[in-house]
Amino acid sequence: MAQRSASKRKRQASTTGQPHTHGKSRCLRILRQLSAYIDDELSTNICQEIRQHLGACPNCETFVMSLRQIVSLCRQSPAPALSTADRALMREKILKTASSR
Amino acid sequence: MSASPTIRRSPASSSRDPQSAKNFDRLYKDHVDLIYRFAHRLCGEPEAAKDLVQETFLNAYRGFDRFRGDAQISTWLYTIASRACRRMRRRRKGAPERELSLEEFIPTSDGEFRLQIPIDGLSPEEALQNKELRHALDAAIDQLPKKYKMVLVLRDMEGVSAKEVGTIMGLNERAVKSRLHRARLFVRRQLSARGLGEPLTDHHHDSRG
Repeated sequence: MAQRSASKRKRQASTTGQPHTHGKSRCLRILRQLSAYIDDELSTNICQEIRQHLGACPNCETFVMSLRQIVSLCRQSPAPALSTADRALMREKILKTASSR
Repeated sequence: MSASPTIRRSPASSSRDPQSAKNFDRLYKDHVDLIYRFAHRLCGEPEAAKDLVQETFLNAYRGFDRFRGDAQISTWLYTIASRACRRMRRRRKGAPERELSLEEFIPTSDGEFRLQIPIDGLSPEEALQNKELRHALDAAIDQLPKKYKMVLVLRDMEGVSAKEVGTIMGLNERAVKSRLHRARLFVRRQLSARGLGEPLTDHHHDSRG
């Protein structure tokens, strides 16, 4: 519970414009591994290291959350469908081209 | 992902014999929706997607005798479609492919850490009801350099495994994952303040590393 309040305070701090104080190279090191992190492909030790960083850096935590959201949106993005008429028309065209060449 | 690895092939069959026509019909019926969905996601619009589907099944019809049966049929068709897509793109002579570097995705302002259209607490399905978000997502995917777009579409939209994406695109798994990561970061950035044009506030990095 105490942890949750601390995390909430950090998020509030981020939205009030608290500067992102650690260096760019550290960001880059974390950034490099984020897809592997959200896809669960990293070792326990590296995951723990990233979680520790995220716990201390509300900006990076927000960044990871937004990357997760992007992956979920892509996965659920609606698929365009083909009409029955188009399906039949394309089949005819393919067979016609195949027999004419 | 559907696959029907049970289509019968005779080693001696030509693509024009009755058995091939029957096999083609089965192949087409079982996979046309899958390949159209893939093609539409790659091309971004229906007419180009239909051209790509026709090119794919035409090549599949002609090359069916060469299908070795050691991959899923869907993987084989995705491979034909991705090659056809590259050929069609070369004919259109578009802008050259751009490499994406990780450095360009490090946020430089506070507004860039989060998505500009907030979706916290919503399921992806609920979030995608928002037309503005859906359009921004489609536009971001469409702006991806093609080699990154193909990996994102196959992996995150079609649900193909990284190993299979490697088979389809002729890449090793590590290269697939690297491209996928950059593609996701690109789309994320396009949906943040930098991509959607919010006035930016300063975000400071110190130089200590």
